[in-house]
Amino acid sequence: MSGGERGPSSVERQSQLWRRLVGDDGPVGTSLTLLAALLALALVAPLAWLAVEAADLGWEAVDMTTQQATVEVLVRSVALVAVVTGASIVLGVGMAVLTVQGDIPFRRFWTVLCALPLAMPSYLGAFAAISAFGPRGALSHVLDPVGLSMPTIYGFGGAALVLTLYTYPYVFLTTRASLLSLDASLVEAARTLDCSRWEAFRRVTLPQILPGVAAGALLVALYTLADFGTPNFMRVQVFTQFIYARYTGFMRPYAVLLSLQLVAVTAVILAVESRIGADEEGAYESRGNRGAVELGLGRWRYPALLLPAGVFLAAIVLPVWIFVLWLTQGGPGYQTGGLAFSWSYAENSVKVALMAAGASILVALPVALRSAASDSRLARFADRLTYVGYAVPGIVLGIALIRFSLEVVPAVYKTLPLLVFAYVVRFVPQAVGSMRTSTQQVDGRLTEASRVLGRSRLGTFRSVTLPLIAPGVATGAALVFLTTMKELPATLLLRPTGFGHTLVTYIWRVREAGLYGKAAVPALVLVVVSALSMAVILAGGER
Amino acid sequence: MTKDKRFGRRHLLKTVAAGSTAAIAGCTLSPSGGGTDTPDGSENGTDGGDGGDGSGGVPGEIPEIGAFRGSGTIVEGRPAPGGTPIRDLPDLSGSLDVYIGGGEGGIYTQFMDMLEEFYSDFSVSSNAAPSSSHAQTIVEEAQAGETRADVFWSIDASSLGYVADEGAYEPLSDEAIEQVPSRFTGGDNAWAGVAGRARAVPYNTNELSEDDIPNSVMEFPETDGLQPMGWAPTYGAFKSFVTAMRLIEGDDATRSWLESMKSAGTERFPNEFVISSQVADGALYSGFANHYYAMRVKNQRDDPPIDLAFTEGDAGALVNIAGALKVQGTGKGDLVDTFVRHLLSSEAQEFFATRSFAYPMIPDVQPVGGLPTIDELSPPDIDLSELSNLGPTLELMQEAGVSG
Repeated sequence: MSGGERGPSSVERQSQLWRRLVGDDGPVGTSLTLLAALLALALVAPLAWLAVEAADLGWEAVDMTTQQATVEVLVRSVALVAVVTGASIVLGVGMAVLTVQGDIPFRRFWTVLCALPLAMPSYLGAFAAISAFGPRGALSHVLDPVGLSMPTIYGFGGAALVLTLYTYPYVFLTTRASLLSLDASLVEAARTLDCSRWEAFRRVTLPQILPGVAAGALLVALYTLADFGTPNFMRVQVFTQFIYARYTGFMRPYAVLLSLQLVAVTAVILAVESRIGADEEGAYESRGNRGAVELGLGRWRYPALLLPAGVFLAAIVLPVWIFVLWLTQGGPGYQTGGLAFSWSYAENSVKVALMAAGASILVALPVALRSAASDSRLARFADRLTYVGYAVPGIVLGIALIRFSLEVVPAVYKTLPLLVFAYVVRFVPQAVGSMRTSTQQVDGRLTEASRVLGRSRLGTFRSVTLPLIAPGVATGAALVFLTTMKELPATLLLRPTGFGHTLVTYIWRVREAGLYGKAAVPALVLVVVSALSMAVILAGGER
Repeated sequence: MTKDKRFGRRHLLKTVAAGSTAAIAGCTLSPSGGGTDTPDGSENGTDGGDGGDGSGGVPGEIPEIGAFRGSGTIVEGRPAPGGTPIRDLPDLSGSLDVYIGGGEGGIYTQFMDMLEEFYSDFSVSSNAAPSSSHAQTIVEEAQAGETRADVFWSIDASSLGYVADEGAYEPLSDEAIEQVPSRFTGGDNAWAGVAGRARAVPYNTNELSEDDIPNSVMEFPETDGLQPMGWAPTYGAFKSFVTAMRLIEGDDATRSWLESMKSAGTERFPNEFVISSQVADGALYSGFANHYYAMRVKNQRDDPPIDLAFTEGDAGALVNIAGALKVQGTGKGDLVDTFVRHLLSSEAQEFFATRSFAYPMIPDVQPVGGLPTIDELSPPDIDLSELSNLGPTLELMQEAGVSG
């Protein structure tokens, strides 16, 4: 073997490089990959304004970054992310296995129950938790006469608890989608081959669902990083609160710099996740959905249900009870006549959330398909890139988009399309994650067979791939819909003049005004709409 | 919620005695209040529909002062307000886009709804967001030549100061702001205060008497008996208070004041209404809060053991304002001037004073509930616009371990 034989000419080398970058997928695949990359770039482009603004700071930026206060905030934020993500994985995977594979009664009911906390904005949960558990809260009236006192809900522990309660459904939903697409015959085979139940889970199920778990965990981590309300209520100073205080204190450059640091933390989290998510060695591919695995729980059948029941009580029943208390007793705050609730706010919320979900699916489809099907670096990069927007706090995105639209495309400033664009930037990774995960589980041989049997590419996609990834698409759409319904800061900054309130901006408005009682109805409406959509979608996901 | 509204309607209808036809007319004839012509439910359109019953006025007719007044024990038996009544002002006609800061019980929005009903060809489209956020948006819009608002109605002087400093305003007419003490207006007529709020010390009257509260806020750390105390460092008004202290006493004194108050055990709360409620409950003996929170507690409960003390000439006696500013490039300058005159009318000032317990900005209207008049307070001699310089304040609070 001489070197001359192996050494490619420069043209070949170039084409090899090109192939490694965009993959070796033929012209259609390559153009899809390029489309995915362009879409992802377009989503994060407005954020480049942050870098432009931070560059104005010059050397001051270095000082600010290394300040002790900044470092402390960084450490605290990362610790909160780690704790919440870990706890959410335990809770989410446990409940997904229980509801998909466990032989429990009323499975659909429990599934909806487990997913429902996602419908509650975590800041409302935090607010309710403080009202219930805080000093002189609703529950202390119950416990005081018995001589019990409430442990403090404020602080790191309280924030971690509340965030876990409202974010674990991400892990639950993505894991569930993976478990549903899991081929039961594989687990049966393992069991036949004398694997214990645990061993079968570890060796067959776990590698299959790991990308799903990782996708969910990533969303939890990024949500925690970007959430403002919960840490603020719980008095934990993290990045978002620090940024907000500096933005409202007219220290925009510093706020922008901190936002860039936040993006950097995101990049690290993404890198960590991509190591787990991409590691599919040993994952057995599914040959289509052949029914779910059954897990006999025996006498643990009913005690196991205490977990989702307890979580549901804490995450949904408690806040709803608090809202109903406010509704019937007026709530804290004082009464005035103004700011009456209108049902059009609910319409507005649903309208923008539907638009955001639809747009996100369209954007996510090429990104997720290429990321799952192609081994090109560009495709994976496009996938990763979409996640950046998710970790950017709404207020930061709002600032960037105001600046971007005013200076580059004034025509879209404060229009509905820009608002929807903001939602897509923020929330599309949820759709990308769940769609990629289900696409990865589609056996390539099925699509190949379809192509060999004469179906067109599009026909194959429609009749083979799409039905197989449908649960992932539905989950993705649901996640975008729900999070858009709950979004506040970007909505406040970007909603068109005359658009009116959404449920959440109205809740913000009355809360700011001190009229907590008036937050009860929209909060309940928000939970009901979200719960309904979730039930519909979860039902669609089951076969 | 529906119950509240109904109560409000009935109560107001009784007060105004406007009769059923007037109420129906207010609901259906109001140009923006019907709800059908603004199906997207813009804030003004929808609220206008509800407010139609609230004011009970026929379009074009300005109701008696009782319609503007709030209800409750501390509001009863007030004298008629002085100042310029709305009927003596030029009519409002046309449409205004208002960027309005959140907060203040939503009563500003409610007042604009009432104006829409008095003037059949006047409409307001309001957009609510945090004041400081609006301020920065306005400056950006002005720089890009894409102004979207005619009026900036901020709940905080520092946001007005920011817009003024960046030159994104047009001066208000002398006529519009002539009644407002110069302390509560911006230089070059950049803005005018429409409602004031004083920093105060709510205290529990069972535990403390007024003499127990020092006249100087700087003496609080060394004064025994005030604890347990509460403060809300994340609240904008508290940060303004610290900024004022910084401007008056210097950074070092302010930092050590914060540190001493913290080590004395001052408890952190998310907002100042909670502090005032807990003072009335006796869970706290005293606290730092805006004056109106204690008034809300008083108006809600039956003679609660809470009263207000005011310090003298220092940051503890800071009087901040909600105010209005004419946005650069509005093109509706005269309408904005007339609008601001309406906000400073007898009716508006009575409305703000009796519903949000704000300090009136014209001397001829009295504050509620035996509060000292704005002349009797001795606020510090600082330029309110300087309160926008929050950066050093946040650093300092951070260093003192009282993060905002």
